[in-house]
Amino acid sequence: MLFNSLSFIVFLVIVLALYYSKLFNWTGKKRMLLFASYVFYGLWNPPLVILLWISTGVDWITGKKLSVEENQKKRKLWLLLSMCVNLGFLGFFKYGNFLLENFTHLMNSIGVEYQAQPMDIILPMGISFYTFQTMSYTIDMYLKRTERAKTFLDFALYVTFFPQLVAGPIVRAGDLISQFYEEKRATINQFIWGTFLLTIGLFQKVVLADTLLSDTSDQVFGAKGVLSGLDAWTGTLAFSGQIFFDFAGYSTCAIGIALMLGIILPDNFRYPYAAIGFSDLWRRWHISLSTWLRDYLYIPLGGNKHGVLRMYVALMVTMLLGGLWHGAAWTFVIWGALHGIYLVIERLLRNKIHIKINAINGIFLALLTYTLVNFTWVFFRAREFSTAKNMITSMLFMNGDGEKLLQSFDILKVFVLITLLFICHWVMRNTSMEEVSKKTSPWILGIGWAVMFFLIAIAQGSGEQFIYFQF
Amino acid sequence: MGSSRVLFDIQLDEWEAETGVRPIQLASAGASPLPIFHDVVNNTDFKGTILVGVTPGLFFSTTYPEASPWKRAQTRADYYKNRTYAQRLNHWLSLPLQKSLVFVSTSEEGWTDDIDLKSLLNNINSGNRTGKPQYPPFNAFAYIEEDRNNPMSEKTATDTAFANSIKEAWKFIILGNKNPPEREATTNFFLVDAKKFIERGGNLILLRCPSSGWIKGGEDKFLSREEFWDPLVKATNAKAYYFEDYDQFKNLECPEWSHLSAPDARFFTTELVRIMKADGALSNSKTN
Repeated sequence: MLFNSLSFIVFLVIVLALYYSKLFNWTGKKRMLLFASYVFYGLWNPPLVILLWISTGVDWITGKKLSVEENQKKRKLWLLLSMCVNLGFLGFFKYGNFLLENFTHLMNSIGVEYQAQPMDIILPMGISFYTFQTMSYTIDMYLKRTERAKTFLDFALYVTFFPQLVAGPIVRAGDLISQFYEEKRATINQFIWGTFLLTIGLFQKVVLADTLLSDTSDQVFGAKGVLSGLDAWTGTLAFSGQIFFDFAGYSTCAIGIALMLGIILPDNFRYPYAAIGFSDLWRRWHISLSTWLRDYLYIPLGGNKHGVLRMYVALMVTMLLGGLWHGAAWTFVIWGALHGIYLVIERLLRNKIHIKINAINGIFLALLTYTLVNFTWVFFRAREFSTAKNMITSMLFMNGDGEKLLQSFDILKVFVLITLLFICHWVMRNTSMEEVSKKTSPWILGIGWAVMFFLIAIAQGSGEQFIYFQF
Repeated sequence: MGSSRVLFDIQLDEWEAETGVRPIQLASAGASPLPIFHDVVNNTDFKGTILVGVTPGLFFSTTYPEASPWKRAQTRADYYKNRTYAQRLNHWLSLPLQKSLVFVSTSEEGWTDDIDLKSLLNNINSGNRTGKPQYPPFNAFAYIEEDRNNPMSEKTATDTAFANSIKEAWKFIILGNKNPPEREATTNFFLVDAKKFIERGGNLILLRCPSSGWIKGGEDKFLSREEFWDPLVKATNAKAYYFEDYDQFKNLECPEWSHLSAPDARFFTTELVRIMKADGALSNSKTN
């Protein structure tokens, strides 16, 4: 089910009505939320709920065993079971065809005649999110960083909580399960703020991403020929805006919906396009994934505790796998590799050049960071390397006679919107929407809310799927 | 099933009034009927009556899956099979709302007179940077109903200037299409399915709906009856109806050259069913 759909509005109204009715006690409400979450997921493809159940069941048992088992060898085996099941699901459903394809290429390249039929595998929506979330629980249990969930119901709801089930934020057990232990009710202010966040999220998705930016980005990345530099930049900038508004929009909706239930989810984005450097970017972009990768991959790989070389290797491996997490294609690996290289270069430079950030050099460095990020988006969006190559050469203005694909208004629209996006991120980079709203007149907030609502209504979105659902 | 001509020209109420059976409208604008017919023949056991509209420019256009006439039809067949329960729910929930509320005019076709935000922005003219020919205004000229009954709007039939704007759009589309028809490939593809359908007891009827003016002239010249329709009918060995063969249809004028006005479509449907019944192509299943 999509947040930007009629069925979700009805679903949410029913869930809220049941949640705030006196029909159930707290346990009953949690059961209702769990059932609603399965309905939310199952309305897409009912049989794939079974994967959720298996993942939940295996990790619940693993957590239970890890909470009492002291034998280190057995603890490792339990952890291994959880990893094998979750990564096995991910490997089969998400990477099955990719692995088969590459194996075939490898065989052919060494002269072995081998042909394999692509497997007809459905990619379960949000599998990367819920497997990572539930793995974080078992790893934390193994490392004795978190308490075992008190009841199976609390744990199952943690894995399946519908607002963040299919596209995050990836929440740690400690941050969410404990919230289920005591009855939660949103205060009036929380409920209103949650509704406001839901509106902002839908506005980002329906109006900004789908209505104003997606067509330009699709047109440019779908072009067969070589484009002019201006067209290539416009398409890439449009995609940079689209992916941000699409994904941040989803996260904002998720946080808002959870808040309407009195549950607090962590921020997933903090104005990333105003980041100064790439370490800063990853503290601001998809925070729940970057912290997951840091805690469960980068640090176990050695982090910065075992010398410079090991740190760089750990960084590169983390970013390569982070790229692959996004999709089963080499273009995503290159996207991750570029980010890894940027991070390595940044760390090398940071040791040699010391800059005191002020408003002027800050905005310049933020612009430089954003510009470099855009080159990575090309690989993220392009379906083929040939497209990416054409785009990059055009963006470097090496294709003087490239095709003019876009009309002037499309270019103007994208540049105005992206400039506003950048300014907004820069102004907001050290604050939060909540902080700003507290200082803003309720009238202005109300008018802004009404304008967003009106634009959502006239955008008449056709229920486009969120980009990150496929990851 | 067929292209937009069947969609406009076969009116479901009239068909039902004459036969007692409400047909399922599977025609799709701008699309070849071949993928839908193929889907019904191969993925169902239906053996009732199928009326296939033959709009020469689309029926004989292509069998290439990525070509627009094929893809437009195939995506609908795929959607029917692959739609999620959430999408079904959205549809069912939207029906009472659509009946009870006034909505901002919008459609997946992206008509020029749609007034959703994206269409409004797309209509802002900032000159022609690309140097390519620009699509003329192409406004919605029909209303599709819940069961896909699709009468032409009254404005198209009565406002000549409006109808002329649609004619300009047809000219742009037709003159811009550089792909030659694939007569053999499309005919052969259809014949395989037609044979299979007839063999299992299905009743296949071919129909050439009216066209007029510049479009009819072009069809007669480049997609002539003798070269395209007649061989298809002969090879299929199905009942076939060509509008010009009937006095009552000869003088029907399409306001925008390609589709009948709503009153003419109602007349056409009623008369056509009567002809087909008289001919034995349709059984008289009407019961009172």
